[in-house]
Amino acid sequence: MVKDPTRSSFRRAARLAQLGAGLAGSYLAHQLQRPFIDEARAKDRRQTLHLKNAKRVRRELQELRGPIMKVGQALSMQTHFLAPEMIEELSALQMHAPAMHPSLMRAQFKSALGKYPEEVFRSFEPEPFAAASLGQVHWAVTKGGESVAVKIQYPAMREAIESDFRALRAAGFVALLSGHLRQSVVNEAERGILEEIDYLREAKNIEFFGKALAPLKFVRVPKVYPELSSDRVLTMSRVRGSRLLDFLKTDPSQELRDKLGTALTRLFFYQLFCVQALHSDPHPGNYLLNADGTIGLVDFGCVKYLKPEVPRCYAQFWSREWAHDPKLYAEIIRVVFGPRVSPQEPRVRRCMNGIRQFYDEFHPLDRTSEALELADSRFMDELAKLASILVKNKFLSPEFLFLSRTESGMCNLLHTLKARVRTTQIAREWMPALRRPKTPGHS
Amino acid sequence: MKKSHRGRNKSAGRTKRSGGKRELNKERTKERILEGALQLFREKGLEHTTTKEISKKAGIAEGTLFNYFKTKEDLALYFFQKETDDLIQWFRGEARLQKAPLAEKLFAIIHRQLEYIEPYEDFIGAVFYRSLQPSSMLSPLSFESQEFRLRYLRFIREILADAEKKGEIPPVGALGAYAVGLFYMGIVTHWLHDTSRGKQKTLALLDRALSLGTNVLKKGGWEW
Repeated sequence: MVKDPTRSSFRRAARLAQLGAGLAGSYLAHQLQRPFIDEARAKDRRQTLHLKNAKRVRRELQELRGPIMKVGQALSMQTHFLAPEMIEELSALQMHAPAMHPSLMRAQFKSALGKYPEEVFRSFEPEPFAAASLGQVHWAVTKGGESVAVKIQYPAMREAIESDFRALRAAGFVALLSGHLRQSVVNEAERGILEEIDYLREAKNIEFFGKALAPLKFVRVPKVYPELSSDRVLTMSRVRGSRLLDFLKTDPSQELRDKLGTALTRLFFYQLFCVQALHSDPHPGNYLLNADGTIGLVDFGCVKYLKPEVPRCYAQFWSREWAHDPKLYAEIIRVVFGPRVSPQEPRVRRCMNGIRQFYDEFHPLDRTSEALELADSRFMDELAKLASILVKNKFLSPEFLFLSRTESGMCNLLHTLKARVRTTQIAREWMPALRRPKTPGHS
Repeated sequence: MKKSHRGRNKSAGRTKRSGGKRELNKERTKERILEGALQLFREKGLEHTTTKEISKKAGIAEGTLFNYFKTKEDLALYFFQKETDDLIQWFRGEARLQKAPLAEKLFAIIHRQLEYIEPYEDFIGAVFYRSLQPSSMLSPLSFESQEFRLRYLRFIREILADAEKKGEIPPVGALGAYAVGLFYMGIVTHWLHDTSRGKQKTLALLDRALSLGTNVLKKGGWEW
């Protein structure tokens, strides 16, 4: 574990998450990179040339505005390749697609679907109720009388992103970013962004998750209206529920908080182990909570389909068997930390010991019926510290970075909800390594 | 062309401007010819459409056609006159737009113009370049095109004056209306070459350029 625990950066991130500020769409980096950065250490490095470079890159990107910021964010996820200073600077970037006035929104809708909203819907709210990934979301009612949410993207985003990447490559930003950032990484970032802005792909994700999560009766996933959707417009059924902060205003009972907390935890582990794909945008606005204990899950722009070894290794983490099994230990290091990290390194040992202590304290295998008090800020602090070490040492492979982001986002949510959850028991239901197979279902 | 006639009628919709029954019939025939011709241009392209086909479609003798339109350019001029009428009439009926910010008003107006010409892209493309020749009837300098251009400029000027009155922009005078007119021509050029799906690049350009333009003006002209 680190000496000198600093909590302020995490607090700030948690506050940000609560406010839902600056987290529009799936700008994961912003929400989750923050807690990974140890502020005190960063301060020490303020004078270094590296940081100056990082600031310069951020400034330049910020001046370019628009989708380029998303590029910065995507690159900020490449923790393997970038210095921590660079990650910090890049994750401070926020993306704003310009808001669309009703005339532009209508024009874009027609450009995508060939007709105006009022021609294909019974009613349509001209003012958006939320910002989305490079666009905005409107309420509407279909001709059949169903309530829907219509997500509309700002025009020509794809072209703008492609041209931003051309500029990025031409301007030699790539070299500037770290000195050793590879072209393939930039290409990967571009591919990722282009994928995320394609609403047809998001529609596929929704269908996939709708089917995959059907056994969990307490989860509601929207239904896509393909005839009212395209790559730039996505029409989905409206999912009931309140955002976390609004929900808390209704002063829910501890029993209800626990029930929802348990449902959220089950949702997470079920995705990880049974679906092997994650809804990886833990923005609190994406979970809609209901008094009957059901959860609406929305926004599937950022979804990670996992390789089978990822859930397997995660389960091995939990099992703690690796502490006595050198072969298993080496495999975990290879899969989770990547092939470039040697299992024998002292910092790796220290880190793994820290992980073990953390799990023993908060997810004890011998007291599985004990509920974890997520309101306890010590758990959150320790989690943040752990994440901070992993990221600083560039330990996490990109897949595990996604996983740990989703997990800490989930913990953040549960923390704000002040839920008590039997995490170990739930994890056990589906976790292969804990060897207690059970079929899914029943909330 | 009955220019003297139209001159007295300011910017009122053309359909209301019918004199006698004969005038009305004449106008209807012109509209019918235009409609048929546009359909043919769409199917066969401007160059491959013959006057014979146009007159057949309109149900008139080929010789009669020339009483109404001497050339395809003539027909194009009539098309733009109708377009201007349609635009002004449409805008007056849009209650919500009257209260919208200037950038949105101009966006909606130009988008409406693009929408009007959209089905006839080939035809517009062909006449657009012809209009760059000073000798063309469609040229901004030709006598024939002045009437509808002036009507358009006055219309835009009215909108700008309204924005000036509301303090949205500093006084820009007649120059502002000319600037919008030129901007529209630039946008049409971009639109004609826009290969993005649903011509969304033009939408983005239009939106960005208008918000940039109005923001610059808000800051008090070019000296920001």
